Amino acid sequence: MDLDTDVPMEDVSNDQDLNQRFEESTTGQGQQQSQPANSKDLNTSSINQLDEWIEKLSTCEPLSEGDVKRLCDMAMDVLQFEENVQPVQVPVTICGDVHGQFHDLMELFKIGGSCPDTNYLFMGDYVDRGYYSVETVSYLVCMKVRYPNRITILRGNHESRQITQVYGFYDECLRKYGSATVWKLFTDLFDYFPITALVDNKVFCLHGGLSPMIETIDQVRELNRIQEVPHEGPMCDLLWSDPDDRGGWGISPRGAGFTFGQDISEQFNHTNDLSLIARAHQLVMEGYSWSHQEAVVTIFSAPNYCYRCGNQAAIMEVDEQHNRQFLQYDPSVRPGEPTVTRKTPDYFL
Amino acid sequence: MSEGDTRDDSSKNHTDESKILNASINSGINAVHVNTAREMTQLHTRARLPIHLQAKNENRNSSMPKPQRKPLMSSTFPKSNSNVSIPAKSHTGSCNNPQCTHCGQVIIPSPKSSLPIQDHPSITVNDWSIFTIKRPILNSTELDDLADSRFEFPLPEMIFGNNLVKLVNDKDGSSIEFNALDALDSLDEESSLKVSYHKEWLESRRSPSTASSSDIIDKSEKAQKEITNKDLKKLTDLDSLKPYDWTYSTNYKGTIKNVQFSETDEKIPVEKLLRPDPILFFDELILFEDELGDNGISMLSTKIRVMPTCLLLLCRFSLRIDNVIFRIRDTRIYIDFDTNLILREYKVQECSYSEVLKKISNKSNNDPKKLLRDTMWVSQNIPILSCTVESNTI
Repeated sequence: MDLDTDVPMEDVSNDQDLNQRFEESTTGQGQQQSQPANSKDLNTSSINQLDEWIEKLSTCEPLSEGDVKRLCDMAMDVLQFEENVQPVQVPVTICGDVHGQFHDLMELFKIGGSCPDTNYLFMGDYVDRGYYSVETVSYLVCMKVRYPNRITILRGNHESRQITQVYGFYDECLRKYGSATVWKLFTDLFDYFPITALVDNKVFCLHGGLSPMIETIDQVRELNRIQEVPHEGPMCDLLWSDPDDRGGWGISPRGAGFTFGQDISEQFNHTNDLSLIARAHQLVMEGYSWSHQEAVVTIFSAPNYCYRCGNQAAIMEVDEQHNRQFLQYDPSVRPGEPTVTRKTPDYFL
Repeated sequence: MSEGDTRDDSSKNHTDESKILNASINSGINAVHVNTAREMTQLHTRARLPIHLQAKNENRNSSMPKPQRKPLMSSTFPKSNSNVSIPAKSHTGSCNNPQCTHCGQVIIPSPKSSLPIQDHPSITVNDWSIFTIKRPILNSTELDDLADSRFEFPLPEMIFGNNLVKLVNDKDGSSIEFNALDALDSLDEESSLKVSYHKEWLESRRSPSTASSSDIIDKSEKAQKEITNKDLKKLTDLDSLKPYDWTYSTNYKGTIKNVQFSETDEKIPVEKLLRPDPILFFDELILFEDELGDNGISMLSTKIRVMPTCLLLLCRFSLRIDNVIFRIRDTRIYIDFDTNLILREYKVQECSYSEVLKKISNKSNNDPKKLLRDTMWVSQNIPILSCTVESNTI
C-alpha cells in the first residue's frame, strides 16, 4: 500500500506507529502485531465511532456534548505530537479560511476531491462568522483524527478563546448546546493545533504571515505553541501579519500588527530555500491573490463570505512536481436563486 | 438531546430559548441560513400569487412579471393619490425584482438573482425614483485601479464599491446618492485611536537594551538578533508611519446633486413614520465593512423604506473598537412625496467602551457582550454629541 510512504519521517515514533496501524486497519489489512505503549491508539471501535460521527456531521448535524468531549480527547492525542512546523508531503491541496460555512466546506471537498483520496492542508480560521462553526470544526477535527496523515489543520487567529467570544463561535455553542462546555473543549484543543506547515520543504504554509522575530524556520520550531494565541511576540505575528506593497516591516496604524514587504518575503524564502509562502487570513474577491511577485500567495476558501460578500473561494493544488493549480468555486447555492438573506422590512427610524 | 425539555419553561424567554435550542440541535440554525432564506423567498413570492398564476410563475422569463391586478393596500392605510411605478420610470436594463401582486411591495432580493450577486431593484413614487444596486465586493483589478488613482491608504477589507442607493427627482434632476467610495473620500487625515493592547504590543517590540542606546550591551546576544532589534526600534517608531484613519470614521452625508440644503428647526416627522403604512420598497445594503484586524468592527450601511407618501433612508456608520470606543454617525434622509420636502439629519454619537459595558453589567446573561454587537441597542444607549437637521429650499 502506498499510503505508508506518506508518513512523515519526522513524526514522533508513537504517532507514526499509530498512523500506520490506523491506515492498515482501515483497509482491512490491520494485521500489525506490535502493540505500542500508547493507550489511546485507534482501534476498530474508535474507527467505527469516528465514521459514525463523520456521517452524522456531513448532514450538518452537530455531535452531542459527550461525543465532542470524546472527540477532543482523541484529537489532543494526535495534535500534541505534531510539530510547530508540521511536515507535509505532495500532492496536497491547500485551503484558506472556512469560517463556519459548513455547506461551502462540503462544496470544497466536491471541488477538490474527497478526503482521504485527496490530501488536504487547511490554514486555519474554521470558526466564527458563519452559522455552522460547530459542525465545521467538529467535521475537520473528526477527519484529522480519522486520517491523520491525509489532512493537516493549522491554527488561525480565530482559533482562540478571546476572538471566538466576539465573533460568533462562543455564541453559537451557547445556542446549540445551552452551555459553554463545547466552546471550552474546542478552544482548549485549539492550543494544540500546529501553527505552520512545510510542504516538501518548499512551500511554507501559515495563517497570517512573517514575523520580524523569525528569520529561519528553525526559530518557529523553538516556539512554545501550546498556549492561547498571545497578543504579541512571534507566534502572534505568524497568525496575524499581512503582506503589504510597502517594503520592509510596517506597523498597522491600529497600533499593533505587522505588515511585511516584498524584500522581507524574498529574504525569508531565500534564507530558508523556499519557493513560496502560502497564507490565508485576508478576504480576496477571486479566492486567491498573489503578492510580492509570486513570493506569497493568499488563499481564501469561504465563498460569499458572511453570506453577503459575493466573493469566489479558491484552493491550491500542489502536485508531485510542485506544479500549482488554483480551483475557484462559488457558494453551494443553486444559481437562479437568491444569494443573500432576505431582510424583513421593518419600520426603522 | 432533550436539554430544551428539561428547562424551566416558566418564563417566555426560556421557552423561546429552548425552542431555538431544539431546532438547532436537529438541524442547525436554519432560520438564519441562506438556504432557508432562499426557500422563504420562494414561498413568500409564490404563495402570494393566485393559484392559477403559481404554476405559470415557475417558468419565469426574463421580462418583468407584471402584476395581474392592482396591488391591495392594507386596510389601515389611508387613501393616497401617489403615483407608483415598478420598476422606476427611468430604470434602464432588465429588472429582476417584481412587485408582489398581493401587497404591492417590491420583492428584494430578487427571487431569481444569480451568482455573482446582482440586484438592481427600483421604484417610482410621484416625482421620485429610488434605485438600489447590490453587487459583490470589489475585485483585485478594481481595487488596484482605485489604489492607483484615488486612494492612498489601504481600503476597508470588504468594500462594496458598486453598491449604491440613489434617490432621483425625475422632474428637476436633483439627486441624493450614498456609495462607499464617496464616503471614503470624507475620512479625516488620521485617527488618534489605537487598539486596546497597543502599549503592551509596542513595549514587547522594544527590548530594553536597544531602547537605551544602539551600543551592544549584552554581548552574548547573537549578532543577527541585535540587528533585528535595532530594526524593530526603528520600525516601531510610529512617527515614521504614514498615518490614515484606520477606523474609517467617515463624515459622509451623501453625494448631493442640485439640492441646496440649509439648517432648519424642523424635525423628521417621527409620528408619520411610525404609522403602519405599507412599505412598498425596503432594502438594506452594506457599503463597506472592516473587521479592524479582529479588534472590532467598522461598518457603513444603509437602509431605506419607501411608503406611498414618504421615504426614510438611514445611512449609518458604526464603529466598535473592543475595549476602546463606540461611535455612531447617522445620516437620515426624509422625503415627503406630496410636498417634495427633503430633510437631512446628521447625528453623531460616541461613548467609551467601558461606559457602555457598565450599562449591561446588571443583566445576568451567558453572553453579556451580545448587546454590544447590536448596533440598534448601542445607538439607543450612548450619548448624542451633536444633531443637525437641514432642509432643501423648495
